[in-house]
Amino acid sequence: MKTGPALRATRLIRRFGELKAIDEVYLEIPYGQVVSLVGPSGCGKSTLLRCLTHLDPPDEGFIEVGGEWLGRALMRNGIVKHNSRRHTDRVRRKIGLVFQSLNLWPHLSVMDNICTAQCIALGRSRDEARAHALELLDRLRIGEIADAYPGQISGGQQQRVAIARAMAMNPEILLFDEPTSALDPELVGEVLRLLKELASSGMTMLVVTHELAFARDVADRLLFMERGIILADGAPQDVITQTADRRVRDFFDKVTAFHPKFMAGTKPKEEHS
Amino acid sequence: MHRSVVKVMALDPTVILNYWPLLVDGALLTLRLAAIAFVGGMLLGAVCATLSLLNYWPVRIVILVYLALMRGIPFIVIVFLIHFGLPSFGIRTQALVTGTVALTLYAGAYYAEIIRAAVLALPRGQWESARVIGMPPIAAARHVIIPQIISPSVPPIVNCTMTMIKESSILSAITVAELTYQGLVIQGNTFAPFEVFISLALIYWAITIAFSLLAWAYERRFGTASGRTSRMSPIAARYLDIEGKSGR
Repeated sequence: MKTGPALRATRLIRRFGELKAIDEVYLEIPYGQVVSLVGPSGCGKSTLLRCLTHLDPPDEGFIEVGGEWLGRALMRNGIVKHNSRRHTDRVRRKIGLVFQSLNLWPHLSVMDNICTAQCIALGRSRDEARAHALELLDRLRIGEIADAYPGQISGGQQQRVAIARAMAMNPEILLFDEPTSALDPELVGEVLRLLKELASSGMTMLVVTHELAFARDVADRLLFMERGIILADGAPQDVITQTADRRVRDFFDKVTAFHPKFMAGTKPKEEHS
Repeated sequence: MHRSVVKVMALDPTVILNYWPLLVDGALLTLRLAAIAFVGGMLLGAVCATLSLLNYWPVRIVILVYLALMRGIPFIVIVFLIHFGLPSFGIRTQALVTGTVALTLYAGAYYAEIIRAAVLALPRGQWESARVIGMPPIAAARHVIIPQIISPSVPPIVNCTMTMIKESSILSAITVAELTYQGLVIQGNTFAPFEVFISLALIYWAITIAFSLLAWAYERRFGTASGRTSRMSPIAARYLDIEGKSGR
């Protein structure tokens, strides 16, 4: 069993001009935990994922993935060291990011989508990569589409391929950027079930989502973010129902008002009577 | 009246037959110039496009100024600027060299724009997904970006190359002995402009058509094969299989 957190972010700040899109975020995710991140649009959820993967390197703060510094490193004597691009690329492999728009490579077959990075970045042989990819495809129950191209498969299958591509690198943690927002309503359930399966297999995950059902039923922990600040952090039930913070309350009141079924599942019992 | 029309239309083929070797020499030089400008221009274009896409503004500004100049100045002025401008910096070279350089710089600017546009037309996520999974920049370019920009950029590159082949005729103005220059020489010797220029027209036309056929064959072989299979709907794919038209 791995020790220490899978991901640790310390005092992350990302500025866009005057605006602080990420404002002193501290985040520690232990191995095996499933964290969901919710918040109103434009609150910095996607920016946080982009910071954590160094697509948009944070202006300040430190990121550790599986015990290794990503980008900036804080040495024992307090000196800040900037790691090389090569080092950053190597540590990046420990984080898998599944984009909202998936970004599969349309000119490569499903198999090549999953194998290319394994061969280049991990130095696996072609056969090794293929075997690993087939195992993942079987696990995600899409073994039969290995030779198809992304344009020939359904949205749900594409989602699975994107997940398989990220998982093929054996990441310490998987990040999902709104995995259900680009899908047909009927596919949402399918993807949520898949995330649930991944969660129960012990995968460490950070999921940005608007699906409060996922946050409530699958996640171990719920983060609420607004204006670049994490306002609430705790067990999903507690955050949804018992937060003292007015802004968090307002958000969940608004969201749950549209989902009567959801309310039935979360409201404290005494309110039912 | 009838007679004069006949007289105007009368072509004297002996002019062309007598001076045929000069035309062949000129055509060969035009082909050589075009080949050098194509290869050199593609290399220059690829380098410029790459540099202009890097997030390093001083280099970017230099490249963008170069592209804007080449696209904003008539080719003949570029040729004169290089040919007559270099000597004032103490560099004296043959017209052939300055002509080749001018043609390469000119074609390179257009190729750079085409490559740049093809890369920028790709969704940003294609690059990001390759980088975030841990591919170094060169590998991401090689495996994810370049394969996807080839088929969309073939048609504009063909177009631009045909223009470049035709523009090479302007090098006759600085005495580069290419096809048009030889034509002017024959015309000066024979005073038979119509015969000469109709031959030039046919030869230029043959060269550009041959090039576009080559590109068409390439597109058929590679461009559409990789470009379409990824986007073809299953129904279309099945239809093409039945018709025996499938690329594979």
